Amino acid sequence: MNDNRWGLPDLGLGVGLRTTHYSHILSEKPEIGFFEILTENYIDTGGRPLFLLDQIAELYPTVMHGVSMSIGSTDPIDFDYLAKVKALADRTGALWVSDHICWTGVLGRNTHDLLPLPYTEESLAHSVERIKIVQDYLERPLVLENPSTYLEFGASDMPEWEFVARLAEDADCGLLFDVNNVYVSAYNHRYDPVAYIDAIPADRVCQYHLAGHTNKGTHIIDTHSDHVVDPVWELFGHTIRTVGLRATLLEWDADIPPFEVVHQEVLKAGDWRRQEVADVA
Amino acid sequence: MSLERPELTRLQRWMQEVVVHPGTVEEAIESAEAEREIPSEHLGEVVLPSHSMTSAERIGVYHGMYLMRMEEALETDYPVIRYHLGDHQFAHLVREYVQRYPSTSYTLNRLGDYLPQFFLDESEWPQAAFLHDLARLELAMTEVFDEEETPVLGAAELEDVSPEAWEAARLQPIAAFRLLAFKHSVIPNLVAFHEDRPSPSPRRRASWVALYRRDYSVLRLELSRAEHDLLRAIVDGTPLGEALAVAAASSKSSRQQAKVFRWFRTWISEGLFTAIES
Repeated sequence: MNDNRWGLPDLGLGVGLRTTHYSHILSEKPEIGFFEILTENYIDTGGRPLFLLDQIAELYPTVMHGVSMSIGSTDPIDFDYLAKVKALADRTGALWVSDHICWTGVLGRNTHDLLPLPYTEESLAHSVERIKIVQDYLERPLVLENPSTYLEFGASDMPEWEFVARLAEDADCGLLFDVNNVYVSAYNHRYDPVAYIDAIPADRVCQYHLAGHTNKGTHIIDTHSDHVVDPVWELFGHTIRTVGLRATLLEWDADIPPFEVVHQEVLKAGDWRRQEVADVA
Repeated sequence: MSLERPELTRLQRWMQEVVVHPGTVEEAIESAEAEREIPSEHLGEVVLPSHSMTSAERIGVYHGMYLMRMEEALETDYPVIRYHLGDHQFAHLVREYVQRYPSTSYTLNRLGDYLPQFFLDESEWPQAAFLHDLARLELAMTEVFDEEETPVLGAAELEDVSPEAWEAARLQPIAAFRLLAFKHSVIPNLVAFHEDRPSPSPRRRASWVALYRRDYSVLRLELSRAEHDLLRAIVDGTPLGEALAVAAASSKSSRQQAKVFRWFRTWISEGLFTAIES
């Protein structure tokens, strides 16, 4: 198994930093590998969120995860936004900056959703060009997450995993591999999630995401509102066997339970990681 | 006739038009804005049906989540308005508002910036004038919450000002400060929200409030007209001697004049100012 090509560290187990957990974290100082911060929650405030983030960043390694880079959009790149992202990364000492393989709006609008791209040569070339520009500006590798999607475009001429792998290689960027998203999209589009995992270039993967979802019967929505389901844990096991150990983060964004519940959930990933290490030994 | 493969620009414009449309997903797909990009008869070629969902249902997942997300964001910034209007009417407000003022920012924190203006635009909206005031109060609260932290003027800096320099001195407010004048009584609605009591009916009565942040908490001072006018003069840069003289002159008794100086001391002790130019 390889490490990622940038030598970005395996930070162990982390959780997404959420406002409801601030006081618990600062008073109890739980033993946890890292926190992932939602970029947009901190780039436009000088108040309490930033004050608390500064304290947490003193105590724990942090990584940044954004939702508004809109890397696949046909709108111009928003350099004001990028300047703020860069300033926050410098302030917190975030070990890497991530966002999503998606677009969020065009014509100056933002839908604030992670909208899917058609998997075409055109959108691949377009996204690759923009990733290179963004990486040059940020002066650090950009780490991009595979999306969960609810539709497939007729225009697509390659499977998602090929698009993701080629995007990472051609743009020379990192990947944040979301195992739950693979499960969600595989369910929605009836493809084999294992084939997806096996196609991902291991040396580009810098981080994993795990989360719960909501199964509507006809489709699954990536709600981040529940425990991780067993099939996703199984896929996580396959992923770490195939790709290797990476910083692993649990996302819980809706119906957020007390910190201990979120913490216990991510500790389950530790069992899978230990199993993998034992098997390799 | 089959559709020529749409280029990325057109596909994204089409999808956005469908996602943000305020009607049903079928209405969205057949809207003039969406039809201009991709005719609705080609839907099945653009978005493939799945084993369990039609093309319309699949893009409908994104369409359905858009307004929910907008509502969630506006509820975060305007909890008192949501409480006052109730779920149904607030959802209606959000649908109308985001049509007129869609998000153009990378952050949802800015989505509600135009809600006070919306109620001016839409004067026919029930209770529009009152809701305009209430929206101004809640918007100012979020601004104060998010403003840059600035140092508070300390006793030592005040003591450094020589007695003869006080007349011409000017005070500069902290960044996290807003001074507001309303035509309606809005604070009772804020209090009712926090105490989980029924939201009072709109009452047309002038009121004045100073919002500020201390130890990262948003606080308020409810003011009289005279307090507001003096504080307004000070934060607008009127020299202290002039501002205090005007306030004292309009006071009818020495007891009221003493009150003016008591207000001033309160504002200093509450940390409303960051600097004094003398």
